[in-house]
Amino acid sequence: MALILTAEEQALADSVRKFVADRSPLTSLRQLISSGEPYDADVWKQMTAQLGLTGLTIPEEYGGVGAGMSALSVAETELGAGLVASPLLACVLAAEALLELEDEEAREELLPKIAGGELIATLALASAAGGRVTASGSAVAATLTGTVSPVLNGAEASVLLVPAEADGVTGLYLVDAGADGLTTTRLTAVDHSRSLARITLEATPARQLAGDALAALAAAEDLANLALASESAGAMKACLDMTSAYARIRVAFGQPIGAFQAVKHTLADMEKSWELGHAALRDAARAGDAEPGRFSVAASVARVLLAGAYADAAVDTVQLHGGIGFTWEHDAHLYYKNGLSNRVLLGGPGDQLDRLADSLGI
Amino acid sequence: MNDDFRARARAWLAANAPRRDSGDDDGESGQTTIADQKEFQAKLYDAGFAGIMWPIDYGGQGLTSAEQIAWSQESRDYDLPNGAFFIGISMPGNTLLELGTEEQKKRYLPRMLRGEEIWCQLFSEPGAGSDVASLQTSGVRDGDGWVLNGQKVWTSGAQFSDFGAILARTDPTKPKHNGISMFIVNMHAPGVTVRPLKVATGHSPFNEVFFDNVRIPADALIGEENKGWDAAVVMLRHERIAIGTMGSSRTSPLGFDSLRDLAAGLGRTGDQGVRRDLAELYARGRAVQLFATLLREETQAGRPPGARGSVAKLAGSELGRFAGTVAADVLGDQLAGFDSDDLYAVTTSIIAAPGSAIAGGTSEIQRNIIGERVLGLAKDPGVDRATPFNQLRVGTQRQN
Repeated sequence: MALILTAEEQALADSVRKFVADRSPLTSLRQLISSGEPYDADVWKQMTAQLGLTGLTIPEEYGGVGAGMSALSVAETELGAGLVASPLLACVLAAEALLELEDEEAREELLPKIAGGELIATLALASAAGGRVTASGSAVAATLTGTVSPVLNGAEASVLLVPAEADGVTGLYLVDAGADGLTTTRLTAVDHSRSLARITLEATPARQLAGDALAALAAAEDLANLALASESAGAMKACLDMTSAYARIRVAFGQPIGAFQAVKHTLADMEKSWELGHAALRDAARAGDAEPGRFSVAASVARVLLAGAYADAAVDTVQLHGGIGFTWEHDAHLYYKNGLSNRVLLGGPGDQLDRLADSLGI
Repeated sequence: MNDDFRARARAWLAANAPRRDSGDDDGESGQTTIADQKEFQAKLYDAGFAGIMWPIDYGGQGLTSAEQIAWSQESRDYDLPNGAFFIGISMPGNTLLELGTEEQKKRYLPRMLRGEEIWCQLFSEPGAGSDVASLQTSGVRDGDGWVLNGQKVWTSGAQFSDFGAILARTDPTKPKHNGISMFIVNMHAPGVTVRPLKVATGHSPFNEVFFDNVRIPADALIGEENKGWDAAVVMLRHERIAIGTMGSSRTSPLGFDSLRDLAAGLGRTGDQGVRRDLAELYARGRAVQLFATLLREETQAGRPPGARGSVAKLAGSELGRFAGTVAADVLGDQLAGFDSDDLYAVTTSIIAAPGSAIAGGTSEIQRNIIGERVLGLAKDPGVDRATPFNQLRVGTQRQN
């Protein structure tokens, strides 16, 4: 299948872009910063119930739209460009884990509500350094003890899927937000558009989800790579467009500053990095739908490239705007922080390269 | 039509084309002779696989980029012995298609496609590389033709070329961009001297070409007199797109597959740094390939890449530079000195890598093009655009 967008995908991109411009422009993010709210409930309602974004990767039989990975990537690219704060990523990763597992009861119970936006769920995926949880008891009446941090929307989720080890075997456990012994502490997020929490469990009741937990976690990690690569590609393009526009109008030494090669060449390199990352992203999105056997590698490639490229582009955006780019009022710092965060969440550069090397059999 | 074409292409290649062997590219047109290449190209042409998207009237197949993409995909595992014709067909060929007269197209294009005549591109001079508009080779009116005097450099394939597309200054009293004409020159004409140019790898893929009172007829002019810069821009655009969408061989010595195998052979794959380097090389290599594919798809969809061909060209040479650092990591101090024949290809490629950031338009020029023509940024502050050429300080040579 071709890399370029189909007419349907282009229409989805256009409608999400319009939604972001009309309902959640960057001023909305500044309002959230002031209010301290993790996301705008009205915006979330429209994203889910009206645009069906949480249901894009959930099959129709579970209340979703079944549009697939490429559709999700297209939507997330536009949301990333607008730095839209929402629990979308948390929800789709939790949904992906449920779809990969074999717990039909949990699927029927949770997926339709996730698709409809009524339930916020999160998968407590963390790096090796991010904490460890042990499980004891039986599968239906387990208790979990330990810590995981950071967890996407850990403080907003009603339901958490927590990886835990029992006798060295990893399982995925369903935990209710109100469960005994569960404490969620919202972290100070560097990225204003991301709500993260540390979750602490002390003999917290849970039930084990049936199915291959490691496979479910791997599938979620792959989708996380596609999703973060998509958001980063959109945000990076926004940086490129914003900075190019500035370089066309800001005058210094008698010229628009884009005339000077130091500025021109930095932007040319940004364009090049975006084009390469974007091509890799389109390939990963297609693989997600049509060639699942190579999706993991393709998603890793896209993530590896875009994580670094976007972080660099965001800092170059500050740089090329000069002093004004460093002010609170200018939007550059919002992208800079988003770039810093996107690069390290759910597997930073070193981990990603190690994982890719493993997949490639090096 | 496309499936039919693909099946025919696959069958023909299997019966007629040599498969790729392990990376032993010595930087020139493989080991095949020009005679061998001409024989192959004639077969290719007669079988209907040359000039796939060119009009039938001029020897092409009149097909679409769907068939072109199919051909590229089917031929990827073959080492087609026709590198000698690449420059001619993709650059002067495509330029004549756009700007040539009916007579020129009919006279030159079919023979170019069939490999009967080989072409080169004569732009750069010792005093005019990136600033090629400052060229000093002159074309002075003589009857209804011209006489050429001057020197070109970096001319690939001049040693076996029959014709060339040359830029010459036909009016030195106008600002530099406005007094250039593009001509067809017969490389066998009296007064043309070709001298090989050796590069850092020890090979001579390029030449210097000297023009000493070379006469050219009236119908040698491509496009309009003194409008040669416009023609040059057309040709350079084709060059960047051609280089940028070329794709690389799976067996390239600096490609992921080769370096992964090399690392394994040298026992370097236990090193975390080497593993991460190789993984990153894989990612960057895939992205360059995928971007080339994307550009071809956009062309097929009616959105030709234009100046974004420069993005592809820049990305390719940057990839080569990065691959060189990964290879250096893998090789360790064997890069300083080695005695195994197996290491010759990769070390030669490392030595050659900087060349690709200079040839076909330097990376600095590509960045200027990307900034100006893709991103719409202002042109560099220039002092010489409006000055008559004969008042300019140019290159390293004395003024006219």
